[in-house]
Amino acid sequence: MVDWQVIIEKHGPAVWQTSYRLLGNHADAADCFQETFVSALEFCRRQRVRNFSALLTRLATARAIDQLRRRFRRSRCETEPADWADLQSANPSPVQRAQQKELTHSLRKSLSKLPSQEAQAFCLRYLNDMSYRQIANELGIKANAAGVLLHRARAKLRESFELSVKECK
Amino acid sequence: MEENENKLEKAIEALKNEQIPPGPPQELADSTLAKLAETAEQTDTVQQKNRILMFEGLRTAKSLTKIAAAAVLLIAAGYATGRLSAPRSPDMEQIRAALEPEIRKNLLDETKQYMQLGLANAYVRIQDELSQQYREDLRRAVLQSVTASNAVTNELLIELIESFNEAQNQDRQRIAAALEQIESNRLRDRDELSNALATFALETEDEFMRTKQDMAQFLSYTQPEQTNRDEIGNSDK
Repeated sequence: MVDWQVIIEKHGPAVWQTSYRLLGNHADAADCFQETFVSALEFCRRQRVRNFSALLTRLATARAIDQLRRRFRRSRCETEPADWADLQSANPSPVQRAQQKELTHSLRKSLSKLPSQEAQAFCLRYLNDMSYRQIANELGIKANAAGVLLHRARAKLRESFELSVKECK
Repeated sequence: MEENENKLEKAIEALKNEQIPPGPPQELADSTLAKLAETAEQTDTVQQKNRILMFEGLRTAKSLTKIAAAAVLLIAAGYATGRLSAPRSPDMEQIRAALEPEIRKNLLDETKQYMQLGLANAYVRIQDELSQQYREDLRRAVLQSVTASNAVTNELLIELIESFNEAQNQDRQRIAAALEQIESNRLRDRDELSNALATFALETEDEFMRTKQDMAQFLSYTQPEQTNRDEIGNSDK
């Protein structure tokens, strides 16, 4: 019997961080948080969980990427939903902040266009610092296949950035 | 190419270092727990429905088995009739010996299926009843414990408030006693000071009067001598 209250208390902050980092606003992160735990519940019914932390991180990443995909499919415009919490922060360099915001927005958009498994592998590796073996375990593939997925994801992201630069020009 | 690589690295770095507000908020954790409970309950209901559907299927299969058994019996009876109505007199013992194990086997299978189905139904029903009863007991126990803990908490709070009030009253009484003491000390000091001042004034007055008398006496001693000198001076002239 899984005590979900304890699991939420223990792993909730990590799930929240993963969701918020990928989605960038409170409302979407909250939705993703709930969906992650519901998916984990369904997963637990199917099979035994050995590492809740890794499972929840992987599920949060997958749900966040789904959400990003829905977001960019729904709105053709380039604007991102505003997070009013940003307005309260005292920012010493607005230009730098704007550049970073633009970069993160481009990366999120590019991630939403990647195939699900590649996007998940990329996020788990570069945002959650998981090893190839951990990624392979979580995605149910071999370590070599995880490496291939990461390579493809990077190549596609580079291409996507190149396209966005051309579009800007 | 390199420029894009750098840009990608920067984007990863920016996304990784983006400031994330602390979370999740408590309301979100609570609502997630509620949603998990709701999902679990829904899944249980679906599983139960599936189980019921499975048993209904078994029931249909059971009626099919009955029909099959009846068909077998009918065929066996027809076969027996055919054999009996044949010109050659059939060997009844042989027919019975041939049919009996089949019929017996069919009967046994059917009975076994009946029993299994009945047992399975009873098992499911008992399981449901037990789980329901367990939930009821658990809910009742939780309610009782919550009520008891509320009562105990209220009592403790009342005791705490009373002890606060008592301590406040004691403090007030002590402060009042101290103020009274200060007031009585002030009055006593004032009386002593006024008495001392009166004594001092009287003594000063006495001393002043004595000095005045001494001065008068001194003046009365010195004046005649002066007049005598003046008189002597005048006579010399």
